Amino acid sequence: MSLIPCLRGRNLFQMTRRGFASGGDLIRLMVADREVVGYGINGRPIYFDSPDCPFPAIRYREVNPELCALREKELDDWKKLSLDEKKQLYRHSFCQTYAEFQHFTPEWKLCLGVALWVVALGIGISISMKTLVYRKLPDTFDDEHQSAQLRRIIQLQMNPITGISSKWCYHENKWK
Amino acid sequence: MLSITARNLASALRSSLVGTSSRVAAVRCLHGTEESAEEFDKRYEKYFSRDGIDGWEIRKGMNDLLGMDLVPSPKIIEAGLRASRRVNDIALAIRWLEGCKDKCGDQKATLYPYLLEKITPTLQELGIPTIEELGYDKPELALKSVYDA
Repeated sequence: MSLIPCLRGRNLFQMTRRGFASGGDLIRLMVADREVVGYGINGRPIYFDSPDCPFPAIRYREVNPELCALREKELDDWKKLSLDEKKQLYRHSFCQTYAEFQHFTPEWKLCLGVALWVVALGIGISISMKTLVYRKLPDTFDDEHQSAQLRRIIQLQMNPITGISSKWCYHENKWK
Repeated sequence: MLSITARNLASALRSSLVGTSSRVAAVRCLHGTEESAEEFDKRYEKYFSRDGIDGWEIRKGMNDLLGMDLVPSPKIIEAGLRASRRVNDIALAIRWLEGCKDKCGDQKATLYPYLLEKITPTLQELGIPTIEELGYDKPELALKSVYDA
């Protein structure tokens, strides 16, 4: 929700125009009050959970007064923090734990469904092209024309070393 | 416009060529001096125990280590935990523990208890809870769908 006021107004156009890919102003605005704490995966201040790059460039939540109080407490001995406070600090830095983002979800059903829909669409398009768009195949595709073509290839001795004529015995007039 | 592009392209080409040759030289220098496991451990222990290391560098080291095909040795894990203590970031320490547990892969049943046994003194000294104590060995929260937000 806090994103929307940042994006309002005439600046939006300028912001989107200034390179998104280079981590331009738009990403900076989306980061808002979050601390940039590291390099992350590509140097852009983005957050995501992944075992390949478990320490993203920014903290997950924005800085707020309660957190600042907690961070003050964190400076002291960690044994004085309660388990709940430790969890709060963790959730401030990270969105999901390893166990959560590696949990098996039924998302594969959606992927399979979409993939099958795309295949069905492709088959439908090819059938309709065949029936509605293309004309009948030319005469030269029937058996008679094709065998005449083959006979002519052999008579002209085309590709005599490795090709079709090399398979034909010209003395006995039959296939080798 | 075209001339600018051409100039950029030329300089890019030149730098890439120069880069390649220096990289080749670096690789050639490395031939025959393979780093042993002990040296590797020592190098990373030293990296994490350096005075004045900041969160940025710690994250970089941890990201690198967790991207490699290995399980960090208990010494490195301890050094990482102490480094997170020095920058006062307990979230970093917990995430690091989780990452090291994940690196055990399908050997979690044998490797993880060993690692835990080795690093328990450090955990207790610094007051870092184990993943089991936090209940993070199982999913704790479900993410809300973006359509419900």
